[in-house]
Amino acid sequence: MIQVNEEPLDWHEGMTVRDVLRARNYRFPMLIIHVGGALIPKQDYDTATIPDGAVVKVIHLISGG
Amino acid sequence: MSQLVFDPAKVMNIDYTQRTEYLEGLEAIQAAHKVLKEITYTPSLPDKGYTNRTLYVNVDTLEITEKPVTQQMKDVFIGGRGFGLYHLWNAVKPTTRWNDPENEIIISPGPVAGMTQYAGTGKSLVVSLSPQTDIPIDSNVGGFFGPLLKFSGFDALELQGKSDKDIILFIDGVKGIIRIEEAPTDPVDSHVLAEVLTHMYAENEADLPNISVVSTGAAAEHSLIGMLNFSFYDRRRGCVRFKQAGRGGIGTVFRNKRIRALVCRGPVVKGNLNHPADPETIARTGIKYHKEIRENDGTQCMMRRNGTAHIVEIMDAYDLLPVHNFQFGSHPDVHRIDSAYWQQRCTQATVDGCWYGCSMACAKGADGLVLKTGPYQGHMVTVDGPEYENAAGLGSNCGVFDPDALLELNFYCDTYGICTITYGTLTAFIMECYQRGILNKERTGGLEMTWGNFEADLEMMHQMARGEGFGKIAGLGVKKMKEHFIQQGWGDPQLINDIGMENKGLEYSQYMSKESLAQQGGYALTNKGPQHDEAWLIFMDMVNKQLPTFEDKAEALYYFPLFRTWFGLNGFCKLPWNDVVPADNASQPEPQKVPEHVQNYVDLFTATTGIRITKEDLIMQSARVYNFQRVFNIRMGKGLRLHDAAPYRSLGPVTREEYESRAERYDKQIVDEMGLDPVGKTTEEKMALHREWRTGRFSKLMDAVYTRRGWTLDGVPTLDRLKELGLDAFPGVVEVVKQHLS
Amino acid sequence: MRQLVIDFKKCDAGRNCDHECEMECAIKVFKVDDPAQAALQIRAYEDGGGHAVLCDQCGDCVVVCPSEALKRNKLGVVMIDKQLCVGCYMCIGFCEKDAFMRNPDWIVPHKCTSCGICVKVCPHGALSIVDVPEPAVRII
Repeated sequence: MIQVNEEPLDWHEGMTVRDVLRARNYRFPMLIIHVGGALIPKQDYDTATIPDGAVVKVIHLISGG
Repeated sequence: MSQLVFDPAKVMNIDYTQRTEYLEGLEAIQAAHKVLKEITYTPSLPDKGYTNRTLYVNVDTLEITEKPVTQQMKDVFIGGRGFGLYHLWNAVKPTTRWNDPENEIIISPGPVAGMTQYAGTGKSLVVSLSPQTDIPIDSNVGGFFGPLLKFSGFDALELQGKSDKDIILFIDGVKGIIRIEEAPTDPVDSHVLAEVLTHMYAENEADLPNISVVSTGAAAEHSLIGMLNFSFYDRRRGCVRFKQAGRGGIGTVFRNKRIRALVCRGPVVKGNLNHPADPETIARTGIKYHKEIRENDGTQCMMRRNGTAHIVEIMDAYDLLPVHNFQFGSHPDVHRIDSAYWQQRCTQATVDGCWYGCSMACAKGADGLVLKTGPYQGHMVTVDGPEYENAAGLGSNCGVFDPDALLELNFYCDTYGICTITYGTLTAFIMECYQRGILNKERTGGLEMTWGNFEADLEMMHQMARGEGFGKIAGLGVKKMKEHFIQQGWGDPQLINDIGMENKGLEYSQYMSKESLAQQGGYALTNKGPQHDEAWLIFMDMVNKQLPTFEDKAEALYYFPLFRTWFGLNGFCKLPWNDVVPADNASQPEPQKVPEHVQNYVDLFTATTGIRITKEDLIMQSARVYNFQRVFNIRMGKGLRLHDAAPYRSLGPVTREEYESRAERYDKQIVDEMGLDPVGKTTEEKMALHREWRTGRFSKLMDAVYTRRGWTLDGVPTLDRLKELGLDAFPGVVEVVKQHLS
Repeated sequence: MRQLVIDFKKCDAGRNCDHECEMECAIKVFKVDDPAQAALQIRAYEDGGGHAVLCDQCGDCVVVCPSEALKRNKLGVVMIDKQLCVGCYMCIGFCEKDAFMRNPDWIVPHKCTSCGICVKVCPHGALSIVDVPEPAVRII
């Protein structure tokens, strides 16, 4: 189990940042993602794996009009 | 970093130079014009962003005079919306209403407006007493009028009085002529009128881009929701296009004054007409930003391809897209009107920007639309957008997912002079009233206002333009419709009030605030009414959980409305601030503020005016005007806590269907937030619990926000706050506030 | 279309010349005694060799110009109409090769027009004007 924006999410071995985005349907293009406090660059979303128990923050920048 | 290159094969094959033309009757229309008044003046260009002159025109007495811009005006009000509010304050009394002759329409571009090197620098701010809210409304609009007005010699244009005949005000900033002409036979609707007038007042073809027309359309004469179109000449399409000052019914005031159009002919635009203090900083900042767009837009918002419509599918994915009058947040048919569709439908092979130098270029255009209904049936037209607000308001919120119908609704809103946001929200309200039996076919005069029935929707709009039938009632807006339906005894008054999405008399714009307390405040605790241009906090609050406490939410509702007010003081567009971000934004402190861009704005203001400011000064500049506007509202008999009340639809689930569509979320909140057990409770009981909890926390939010803003718990700025802002220099301001401070 | 090209087998990136090409361009074309204002800029790499900042007439700037100040002439060369230019510098910001130039003293930016003045003065004969097909218009 990991925490994503303060809500629990089931974890699996080899889970990547992209998997989290897919699981949460986070489709907004302007995101800032921290895993355990470390910033994950956009180009690493497909490869950066998430350890079990990690605290993940997916910050969506302001949008809307 | 490589250029974003778009594959032309993805776009529909539509000739963007083809459309119906309206110039045949031009000579006869011109011959019917009669000069009522003409004066000459000496045009001047701005110095460090200011011409230091404003133009006053009374359309009744035909008085045309100049007023100087004082140092105090610049220090306290900056320009744009600030100048508009300043002039309006001086023009009206607390008893003045929108249709009194002393009400004014003020158009002011702001000191930065007219800069050509940075994106989003051509904006005008329009201010007037609103027919919908009875308080000042301000609207931030693109198009060329504001910059051309300034380059003709004026930092603001004040229009006062009421004419007894249809008139056109022509400002020739090249020859130094200001003329009021009677215009007895001019076309009524904007897409015809602005084309005719652009060609009438241009001296030759090369002069067409130097003309901008402000106009409205037929619906502005018969409704309270009239909008103003600000034109710009699209060289590649060879046509006149528009940006809209939409909110609050300024178009209605315009026609009530019997102004048919304002026409400005400015000098040929060059890169230095604004005469900034430090052109080099502006050039460097502008080029840096253009490169940022080039390198990042393709992988961020794709504003150059999609405009603001890029968030249609995003809002749908986050359950935030208004569907069926803000009942639901997503719909399976959204793919028919999402940005993937508009990207193909809008012309991509041309330059889209509503002022020079806008590399964000979001002003998309859908060409080659052949209209199926109304007075222009069979005509081929170019439609602006659709922007997100139009796709959501005219589309999903009313259950309309037919893209051509949406374009036709958008087109007629524009040419008739109707605010698309307002029209979308009021039509969604009507459709829900129809669904719930508050309205029926008899009460609507035969219009079957079922979800998605765009034929009836369009017919209602044509009625609004003709001033007939149910369309005329719709044109009163949600607030007055609610009163009317309740008075007629057409349904449960509480239900009608709960689902009518207005606050202060203005319709909500197109975001679901139900699950974001901060956004509920972002809408209802605004100066002019519920428009997202003050604060858009849904992601920060609801998705990111960055604002857990009332104090956090209050801080966001302090900072962002003030930060965003500043765009309107200066003539900036908000979009280039956050619809692209620098590649390293993620590693900056407070990335949601886009710190590099904030610094750009500080630099651009300083480089234009020569007045050195910091990012903290920027907020103070806004705070002066923002609090002045709050006091103005109080002066007009509004602006207190009770006027910030929100309709329950914006706070929580009004109906069973709404509750059940998000039952898991709502049941969990009963456990987590209220400490109760939802098991065994009926939906009605659970809805009642939510209502109590949600209205209670909204009230607590008001307390926190008012306190942070330096206001009393009744929403009145304190004398200390006014002193801090230097507004105690205005005895009239202090006088208004004193009456409300015990 | 006419295009200025440089052969770095011949050009030694200013190691054994006086940047005659830049100087000639600045003086003859732009009437300024400052090679930094030339429409081509030769830069040496520290570890040998070099590169040129040079317009290849790709035409991307024509696409982004809001005032139609940029057009191809009969020879396919992208020319700037000073009367129409509004000084927005989108041409500069959107140029992948950074070949659109700006002199802080002028409002209108400038660029190489494949005139060939520089070709004649290169002591190594590294510059030439060639005729190549116009690339397709890109939507950017």
